[in-house]
Amino acid sequence: MMLSVDDIHVHYGASVHAVQGLSLQVGEGELVSVIGQNGAGKSTVLKAVMGVVPTASGRITFDGVEVGASGFSSVKQRMSYVPESRGIFAGLTVGENLRLGAIVRKDRKLVEADIERELERFPVLRRYWDRGASLLSGGEQQQLAIARALMLRPRLLVLDEPTLGLAPIVVDLIFDVVEQLRAEGMTILLVEQNAVRALEVADRSYVVQAPGRVLGEGTATELAAQPDVVDHLGFTPEGRVQP
Amino acid sequence: MIMEFLISAVGLGALYALLTLGVALMFGVLGLMNFAYGEILLAGAFAMYLFRNEPWFVGAGMALVFAVAVALLSERLAFHPLRDADPVILMIASFAVSLALQSIARMTVLPRARGIAPEPFLSRRIEVLGADVSVLDLVTVGLCGVTLVAVAWLMGRTSLGIQLRAAAEDFRMAALLGVRPNLVIPAAFVIVGVLAGIGSVVLAARQGSVSADMGLQPMLIGVVGAVLGGMSSLKGAALGGFLLGAVTALLETFLPTDLIAFRDAFLFTALIVVLVVRPQGLLSGAKVRVS
Repeated sequence: MMLSVDDIHVHYGASVHAVQGLSLQVGEGELVSVIGQNGAGKSTVLKAVMGVVPTASGRITFDGVEVGASGFSSVKQRMSYVPESRGIFAGLTVGENLRLGAIVRKDRKLVEADIERELERFPVLRRYWDRGASLLSGGEQQQLAIARALMLRPRLLVLDEPTLGLAPIVVDLIFDVVEQLRAEGMTILLVEQNAVRALEVADRSYVVQAPGRVLGEGTATELAAQPDVVDHLGFTPEGRVQP
Repeated sequence: MIMEFLISAVGLGALYALLTLGVALMFGVLGLMNFAYGEILLAGAFAMYLFRNEPWFVGAGMALVFAVAVALLSERLAFHPLRDADPVILMIASFAVSLALQSIARMTVLPRARGIAPEPFLSRRIEVLGADVSVLDLVTVGLCGVTLVAVAWLMGRTSLGIQLRAAAEDFRMAALLGVRPNLVIPAAFVIVGVLAGIGSVVLAARQGSVSADMGLQPMLIGVVGAVLGGMSSLKGAALGGFLLGAVTALLETFLPTDLIAFRDAFLFTALIVVLVVRPQGLLSGAKVRVS
């Protein structure tokens, strides 16, 4: 497995035990979604994967290297993260934000080609290239955040609630891009509250319930066969149509 | 009269903008309200005193070297080991560094204020567009103006500048993108050292002396200017510093003689009014383009 999360526990302070013994795996080229209600600990898992929050116990490895170990760098491992808050630098222009995504890359010519590729994927970014990022709408900022993450040419793309608070038309656009990236063979770990859409695009999904425990996992078809999961979700999962 | 006032106001405004930028850069990148900023400035001014018998430009150059050296040393010895500490701990550490440097200066080389003879060419007055203007005011405008333009170019046009601005806004996100703390933090201290060094050259020339506690007032000016402009916006901080300096010059020029002693009372009343209207500062949080 490319990413392996084994029995992790995460605490916020002394009183909040946000994740309690969660495990998940992501194979190369897979799109894995993590779904569940607010406060289930989904985003905390992603933060732990990126080394943003420390784990109290358990183990996270990426390509066999332990996350958080001395010398580990998510950037060197080419793990790209789009946080729920999008992490856009409001004081920088769209172009500067995009270039920042490739700050560690030395292949300048390929960087320029990648910028062009992302501008074709997200035409609105070309239009607003010199505009301050704070002036973008929420949907435009999300496109910028994803484009910036892709500038690293990531081996693993970690997306935290990419459609949160966006208009339906933008939600469609974001899911189209996620499917497009999946078709290109990119490995994606997606946390999403829109469970229906997440199950549609994912190869496998983990249903998480508070406090940070996996209730069920598998393809949409496999999850549909688990009464606990169906009861928790409130609907019967239907996956994407397999070719 | 108007021309003299304008040059004096722009000069003081530019000097205060330099001081403010140093405070805001440190706060943005490190989350550090660095009270030792005044002592970085003191190091520069002390170099001006130490090399007072050399040509002026030698003293000015050494002021930059001394200020950058003290800035980097304070980073390496005091702040680097506390990099992940709570901001309050960092602030207390900066107090400790400030007091330690001030005490060392007082016990060793500066037990009392030392005079720096004014450079003859800076003491001259020349006519500009019919106005009688001091060369020192013109040099202040030129030196601070060029420095501010250089900092604007560095921050807006270079990769380092973009990384510094990103780190100042959201250090964790910047690090997740590959911005290296071991590059941007020392770089920020070097820039702060250069700003303080240039500020110290101007201050030493304007005050004509150097003393162990001379950094206190510039540091306060830097903090107040940064709060006025907006701590989270480098452009706002520079604007805040500039306005603070310009208004100070305005009050010094136009206040009746018997009210001059209350200049700071008028200044800080105006500041409080501004902060009541815009508690986040003039530019912080405003939708403005940076480049």
